[in-house]
Amino acid sequence: MSKKILVTLYRNEVSPRFDLASEVLLVTVDAAGKEAKRQELVLAHSSADDLCDLILDREVSEVITGGMEEEHYHYLRWKRLTVLDGIAGLAEDALARHLRGELEPGDILFPRGHQQAGGTDA
Amino acid sequence: MENTLAARAMMAPFAGLDASGLDRADLSRILRELPFGVAVLDGERRTLFLNSALERLTGYSSAEVAGVPCRHVLRGSFCLHTCPRLACTKDESASCATQSREGTLINRHRRKVPVRLTSVPVLDKAGELICTLDVIEDLSALKELEGRLTRTAGPGAIVGRCAAMEHLLRILPAVAQSDATVLLTGESGTGKDLLAEALHRASPRARESFVRVNATPMPEALLDVELFGQAGSAPDEQGGGGAPRPGKFQLAQNGTIYLSEIADMPLAQQGRLLRLLDEKAVVPAGGERPMRLNVRVVAATGHDPEALVQAGLLRKDLFHRLNAVRLVLPPVRERGEDVQFLLTHFLGIYAAKFRKQVLGFSEDALALLSAYDYPGNVRELRNMVEYAVMVCAGDQVLPEHLPPHVRFPLAPGSTDSPASKTEAARRQPARKKA
Repeated sequence: MSKKILVTLYRNEVSPRFDLASEVLLVTVDAAGKEAKRQELVLAHSSADDLCDLILDREVSEVITGGMEEEHYHYLRWKRLTVLDGIAGLAEDALARHLRGELEPGDILFPRGHQQAGGTDA
Repeated sequence: MENTLAARAMMAPFAGLDASGLDRADLSRILRELPFGVAVLDGERRTLFLNSALERLTGYSSAEVAGVPCRHVLRGSFCLHTCPRLACTKDESASCATQSREGTLINRHRRKVPVRLTSVPVLDKAGELICTLDVIEDLSALKELEGRLTRTAGPGAIVGRCAAMEHLLRILPAVAQSDATVLLTGESGTGKDLLAEALHRASPRARESFVRVNATPMPEALLDVELFGQAGSAPDEQGGGGAPRPGKFQLAQNGTIYLSEIADMPLAQQGRLLRLLDEKAVVPAGGERPMRLNVRVVAATGHDPEALVQAGLLRKDLFHRLNAVRLVLPPVRERGEDVQFLLTHFLGIYAAKFRKQVLGFSEDALALLSAYDYPGNVRELRNMVEYAVMVCAGDQVLPEHLPPHVRFPLAPGSTDSPASKTEAARRQPARKKA
């Protein structure tokens, strides 16, 4: 059975805030866990309420996002969705980890530790 | 010589700091113990250090987010579109300035916290950027207090910071608690209706009804029934009559009745109103037995009540009866410093309503809005901000988002200028004597 995964985006990263995301990545995976279809949607404006509506309209079953208010988290959980919030990292990394079953809420995927200033931005 | 003296004078405080031995201080310990949140970021705004206060606020420890871009740690509303880094490129580090902005962050515990972020670039003596200090103040307590004060002022609609409005808002709770009749005066659009409602909501009658009456011109007999009700009569042959009809005063029993534009009421009804206020009873039209009433009366007029009495449009005895407490709402042009406050207040309301990230006004737009006369007072100002937010596509209201009559004011003295229209409206007599 296929399922839909939604990742909130900020450039190529998971959006740090659910309520301020203005783009989302919608990925459909087949029963074998392989990616079957992907869509990038640009939202008319940032709104946590509207994003919740979109998630339910599109019958998304799993959401990967950054910081999210309790109210919206519990609303989506109450609607029986899997919500992986507090994710900090590149969107593709987060998605790949999730498809391997290795992503947990609150995971920080950026390289950690002090680096020399002037390195590339993550 | 002068240069040398000036240079010495500028160096003096730093020499004092050097003498204090601060250069040997344990900086991380000082930062850790500061009572507000501090993040130290590298040139790419990656997190190097969080102090204890910021660790508590965000829910992250300094060690677990070392090297992570600060937008994923602070998760502030200012991080995505108005990040201080956007205004401070690496090549122009010498031109970096301290920036401060308010917003919210969402912490690890999924709580949204109102905060103020001040981003301070730390430069070396050659002007090269070493790191950035982000200072984050938790504004929760302040916002809660602000919310409480706004609620005290009424239905969250009467706001103002000028001396006249502050006085009005300060005495409002005491006036509301008394049962005295109140006369509200102020030009059209200054908020008389809102003030009347705020008085009712802050009064012990708040749970009872608030009835608004506009004594618009209508046949006197009809107005009599509308205001004071009609007594029941025996059914006629067609089955008509019979049921008594309550008037506005009966509907406001135990509550507050608000008579807007009291001078529009015909003199006969003004006489009946005076008797009602004196006797606290009303005889419905067609009835004989007086009905006891417990109603608080709040009346309003957009004109000078003394002038209305002089012109014979308002009964002198009624004026003195209503004038037990008089509250004067100042026009916007006399509220000086309030204009910017009201602009920001309504901008926040309409940005939230239209779900837009409009953060403020450009300097040019603000200059135009501050110079405008606002003949329609707060109502006009509010409508203007609503229009500006509606048409604004960016994060700042620019002059082109303002209505044409604000952008292109006519020369003073022109017959079509808003100022001359206001003056003409003020000079116009309220109503011819009946």
